[in-house]
Amino acid sequence: MIRKNFKKTKKKKNSNLMLFQKPVIKFKRECPLSGKNAPMVNYKNIKLLQKYISETGKMLPSRITSVSYSKQKELSSEIKKARILALLPFTND
Amino acid sequence: MNTYEHTYILSQNLNQKDLKDIRTKIENIIEKNQGKIQKVEDWGLRNLAYPIKKFKKGYYSNIFFSGTVNAVFELEKFERIDENVLRFLTFKVKEVPKENSELCLK
Repeated sequence: MIRKNFKKTKKKKNSNLMLFQKPVIKFKRECPLSGKNAPMVNYKNIKLLQKYISETGKMLPSRITSVSYSKQKELSSEIKKARILALLPFTND
Repeated sequence: MNTYEHTYILSQNLNQKDLKDIRTKIENIIEKNQGKIQKVEDWGLRNLAYPIKKFKKGYYSNIFFSGTVNAVFELEKFERIDENVLRFLTFKVKEVPKENSELCLK
C-alpha cells in the first residue's frame, strides 16, 4: 500500500488558541530554607527571622516567601521563642 | 537524662558582683540536682524588644545542661521567686552546638 496523496498536517504554532492554554514556562521558586547550604532556623539567629516578619511584627505567609510547609512550622515555633525572650517584638507600631 | 537549653534575662540595675552571685547560684542549683553543665554563654547587655517590668535593657545568659526534670523544676522555682530574673525559657535540645551563637560576646 502506497499512499500517494499523503499530506503532513502540521499543527499551527501561533494559533489564537495559545492564549487559553497553560504557559510552557513555569515559575518555580525553591524553598530558601531547605536544601544544601541552607541557614539553620534558630531563635538565636535574629537577622534571619527578621526577614520573615512584616513591619508590624506579624509573620509573612509562605505564599509570599515560598518557604516549604515543614520549614514554615519550624519558623513559627522559633519566632515565638524569640518573642518570649524579647529578642523580637510581638507588635511594632 | 535529657539535654536542655536554658536562657534567662537579669535586670539592668545589678552590679557585676550581684550578676556573678546569681549566675553561680543558678549553676549550683543544677549541680545539686544531679545535672551537668555543658556550655555557658554570655550575651551581655542587650536592648529588649519591649519593656519588661519597666526595664528597657537586660543581661542575657544561656546554659546548656544535661539532667532530669527535677533539675528544671528546681531551677524554675528559684527564678520565679527571684525579682532580678526578668524572663526565662527552657526546652529540650537533641545536641549541644559546638560553635558559639551569633549573639555571644567575643
